[in-house]
Amino acid sequence: MMILDVLAEVAGKPDDAENALFKNTAFVVLGAYLVLLLWLGYLGYRKSKNSEEDYYLAGRGQGWIVSSLTIMATFFSSFALLGAPGIVYRDGVIFALFALNVPVGALAVFILGSRIRRVGRANGYVTPGDMISDYYGGGAALRLLVALIGALYAIPYVLIQMNAGGVITKAMFPDNESAFAIGSGCLAVITMLYVMVGGMRSVAWTDVIQGSLLIFGMLLAGFAAVAALGGVGGFLDSVAELPAKSLSAPGTTGGFPPEKLFTICAVASIGSMVQPAQWMRYYSASSSNTLRRSALVFGTVLPICFLFGVMLVGLGGQALYPTAEEGGKVVAHSDVGSFDSILIVVLKNHLPDLFGFVGIALAALICVAVMAASMSTADSNLHALSAVFTRDIYARYLRPKSGEGERTWVGRTVIVAATAVAVLLIELQRADSSFEPYKLIASMGFLAIAFSSQLIPLTIDILFVRRGSSTGAVSGIVAGLFVLFFFTPFFSMNAAGNPTGDQVLELVAQVRSNIDLGSFALVANIVVFVVVSKFTKKPSQETRDQFAEAIRPKTND
Amino acid sequence: MAYPPRMSEATTNNDRKLAKILAVIFVVALVMGPGPGIRLIDPGPDHSGPTPTFLGLPAIYAWGLFWFLVEAAVVITAYRTIWRSEAEDDR
Repeated sequence: MMILDVLAEVAGKPDDAENALFKNTAFVVLGAYLVLLLWLGYLGYRKSKNSEEDYYLAGRGQGWIVSSLTIMATFFSSFALLGAPGIVYRDGVIFALFALNVPVGALAVFILGSRIRRVGRANGYVTPGDMISDYYGGGAALRLLVALIGALYAIPYVLIQMNAGGVITKAMFPDNESAFAIGSGCLAVITMLYVMVGGMRSVAWTDVIQGSLLIFGMLLAGFAAVAALGGVGGFLDSVAELPAKSLSAPGTTGGFPPEKLFTICAVASIGSMVQPAQWMRYYSASSSNTLRRSALVFGTVLPICFLFGVMLVGLGGQALYPTAEEGGKVVAHSDVGSFDSILIVVLKNHLPDLFGFVGIALAALICVAVMAASMSTADSNLHALSAVFTRDIYARYLRPKSGEGERTWVGRTVIVAATAVAVLLIELQRADSSFEPYKLIASMGFLAIAFSSQLIPLTIDILFVRRGSSTGAVSGIVAGLFVLFFFTPFFSMNAAGNPTGDQVLELVAQVRSNIDLGSFALVANIVVFVVVSKFTKKPSQETRDQFAEAIRPKTND
Repeated sequence: MAYPPRMSEATTNNDRKLAKILAVIFVVALVMGPGPGIRLIDPGPDHSGPTPTFLGLPAIYAWGLFWFLVEAAVVITAYRTIWRSEAEDDR
C-alpha cells in the first residue's frame, strides 16, 4: 500500500499538457473498463440459473480460456504490477528465480486440480470444506477449521484490494479531493454488483479481461524499460553496471537467501493453488482437458511475463532511477518515491517519449490494469468467502434445511455485507490513521498463503494417500495455525517488552528472513498429522474406496 | 470405438517411467534454480571486478531463465504425454 501512496505522488507532479492529457485519457479508459465489467456481470446474470452449482461454479462448465485466465488473475493480483517490480527494483536480479514457482503451481493445477474436479463433480462439492469434511467425517471442528483458513485467506485480500482502488484512483486524479473515496467506493460497489448478480460466471469473465490486462501490462512495462535505455544493447550494458549487491544473492536487502526462495517455490506456490478461490475454479472446469490446458498456459505464459516484463522493468528501473543507501537502509530514487511505484514511473515517464499520444494512452491503460489486478483479487475472494460462509457455516449449522435458492441469496447477502464492512473499515482508517482493526486485518494479508498452505497435507492425503484420520487432520491444522500465530501481529503486540517474548520475537524474525513461513508451519502440521493419524480412527474402507473410485478418470461422466 | 474403461489400464508402463523421469528432472530444476544450486554461480555481494554474465545477461538472471526452460519443458512434455492420456480417458 505504501507503494501506491508513492504512486499518488508521482501522478501529482505539476500539471502540464501531458499530465492533463493523461488524466483525461485515464478517465475515459477507466470509465469504459468499469462499464465493461458491469456489462459482463449482467451477461453472467442473464445466463445464470437459480442454483448453488451455477452461482458458485458456473454450472461446472468453464472452458480452458476462461479457466486459464481466471486462475492466472486470481494467482497474481496487483502484486504482478506493483509489488513484484518493486522487489526487483529494490533487491535486484535475485528475484528472477521467484518466477520458478509458477511452473510448480502449474503442476498443482493439473495434478491436484483434475482430481479435485472429478471428486467434486461426483459428489456435488462446492467448497474445499465440502470435500475435506465429507472424506474425513467427524464433527464440526474440521469443517470450521477449513472455513477459518478460507476466511483468513480471503478477508485481508478483499480489504486490501478495495483500499487499493482508492489509492490508484487518487494517483490518477490527484487534484480531485474526493478521488480516493470515489475510487474505493466505485471498485467496491462495481465488484460487489457483478459478483453478486452473476456469481462465478461473471467473476471468471471479468477475470479474462483483467488477466489479459495484467499480461499486457507486464510485457509492455518490460518493453518500455528496454526502449528507455536505448534498446537491448543499452539495457544490458546499463544492467551490467549495477552494484554487485543488485546482481547477486541474497539481494540488496539480503531478503532472498536460497533457502527462502526454494521454500517459496516448492511450497508457497502449492499453498496458493489450494486456497478456496482456486479450489472452486477446479470444481468449475468443464473437463480434465480444460485443466490440462490451463496448467500449460499458466506454467509458461506467466513466467514469461515475469521474466521478460517484471524483471526488465525492475532492473531497468534501477539503471534509470538508481536506489541509494541511507542509514543502512535501501531507499528508492526521489523521482520514484516508493519501490512499488517503479513500473508506473517508468511507463508514465518514458512511454509518452517513445510513442507520443499512444504512449500516454498506454500508460493510462496500465493504470487501469493495476486497478483490474486489484479487482480480480477482490472479486475471487469475495465470491469464495460467500461460498465458504454459505456452505460451510449457514447450510451446516445455522439452517441445515435451507434450500438452494435461499442459500444463494444468503451468499449474495454475505457479499454485500463483506463489501460494506470493508468500505466502512477503510473509511474509519482514513478518518483516523491509527485505527487498529484495519491495520491488523491488512497485516494478516502477508500470512494468507501461509494459512492456505496448511491445507496441503489434507489435500495430498485425500487425493493420493488416504491414510490420515479426522483427528489427525484437525490436530495437524491446529498445530500449523499455532505456529503461524507467532508470526501474527497479535503475538508481537502482546509479547514485546517481556524477556521471553523478546527472545521468541527474535527467533520469529530469524525464521521470517530465512524461510517461507507457510513451509515452516507446514513441518509442524505434517508431523502432527502423521503421528496422530497413526493412532486414531481413519475413515471407513468404504469411504476410502468411494473416493479412490471418484478420483480415477472416468469414461462416461 | 469405445474408450478404455479405466485410466490405470490405459496408462502404459512407458508413461509411468516418463512420469518418474520428469519428476526427477523437475525436482533437480527446483533445487538448482531457486534452491542451493544458486551458490554455484552467485558472485556474492562483495564481488569486485566485472559482473559474471552469460550472453550479456547477469549470471543469476541467465540461470533463472535456463531452469525455467527446464521446468517449462517438463510441463510441456507432461502436457503432451502423461496428462493427455489421463485427460483423454476422462470423458
